[in-house]
Amino acid sequence: MSFVSLNIESPTDAPVKLTRRALAKQRTRERVLSAARRLFTERGYEGATIRDIAQAAGMSTGAVFASFSDKSELFDEILTADYEVIYAQMKQAGVNGVSVEEGVIGMFAVAYGFHVEQLPLLQASIAVSWTRSETAERRNRGHLKHIFTLLNGVLLRGVERGELKTSADTKLLAEIIWDVYVANYRRAIFDAWTVEALLSRLSDQLKVILAGARA
Amino acid sequence: MGIRDDQKLATREKVLEAARDLFNETGYEETTIRAIAERAGVSVGSVFTTFASKAEVLSHVMDRRLGDLYAEFDRVVPYLRGSTADRLCSIFAIHYEFETRRVKLFLAHIAASYSPSNDPGVTPYGRNERLTLMLREVLQDGITRGDVRPDLDPQLAIDVLKASYAWNYRLAATCGAQASALSAAMDNQIAFIAEGWRPR
Repeated sequence: MSFVSLNIESPTDAPVKLTRRALAKQRTRERVLSAARRLFTERGYEGATIRDIAQAAGMSTGAVFASFSDKSELFDEILTADYEVIYAQMKQAGVNGVSVEEGVIGMFAVAYGFHVEQLPLLQASIAVSWTRSETAERRNRGHLKHIFTLLNGVLLRGVERGELKTSADTKLLAEIIWDVYVANYRRAIFDAWTVEALLSRLSDQLKVILAGARA
Repeated sequence: MGIRDDQKLATREKVLEAARDLFNETGYEETTIRAIAERAGVSVGSVFTTFASKAEVLSHVMDRRLGDLYAEFDRVVPYLRGSTADRLCSIFAIHYEFETRRVKLFLAHIAASYSPSNDPGVTPYGRNERLTLMLREVLQDGITRGDVRPDLDPQLAIDVLKASYAWNYRLAATCGAQASALSAAMDNQIAFIAEGWRPR
């Protein structure tokens, strides 16, 4: 798993020259992040303490706190890295779809494909999202907003193509589709559904959701 | 029933009541088994002889609460009137009214349904057969009365309704929304989905 932001990889950005000190600091961060990812995956969010993470990364608790202000920031950094990995692919899949269904299913095929591979981490992130502090939630809502914009774009193109009614409330539609997408993860968790099974269910659910909005 | 069983039952009652209050007041993650035992006035050991884990305590707390809620529904559902969408709106409004009284407890319940540690003694949110059954009956009834398309797969509609129902609790979690705001959001979602199952 890469922690490199897609923004850094993009060719338009000039490479940043790092001092030795900054390089060492970055290496420490990466070590902490990879240990944290492993422990969150194994034990969930609550089960992994900063002390455990420091120990797994082979450094002191103080050294971890020099890079991250608290556990929730550390956790969010991991989620952000993952989000950046799949966002561009989801965007592409959404744009490529020639119908609303294809666009939506394409987007979520990327997400299911990525998250089902590392289900425990996803479970921890959804569980935390229901109980975390407001500040942490606000940080995370930024990502959600971007995904919603993508989803809304797919639906609006459906309206333009005459697939959906012009009066269709695409925001509400996007919300309902998202709810169902998230809820389906329980099938992966409790019933060990595969990505294919999740997508085929989502596709059926989508037909029910879209029925009232079709032109 | 012997004295031992009576005692065991009494401990169970006290633990569930203490846990319900603590989960809601201080939050699920922040509440320790020790704190539950203290509030219930029983030993930590006796909590563990009754329940395997904190997750199981939460599951039983919710199970009991939902038992009360669904007993109420058994009474109310036969008197529901109006279109299928209206009936569904009433059902979810009653849920929001009930759960927002202890909103932190319910958020913990939803969070636990995604938790990576699944004990066998736990019934997570979303596995509540009674809600599924109730929704199925209302939809079937709608098909019979003719305001729901006969070719609708009720299970798919139920998936969508339940997902929307749970997601709306975010409004309570992040902006402290009241039951009425949650019900209003749900009413919109139901109206939207109902448009799709209207016979044509």
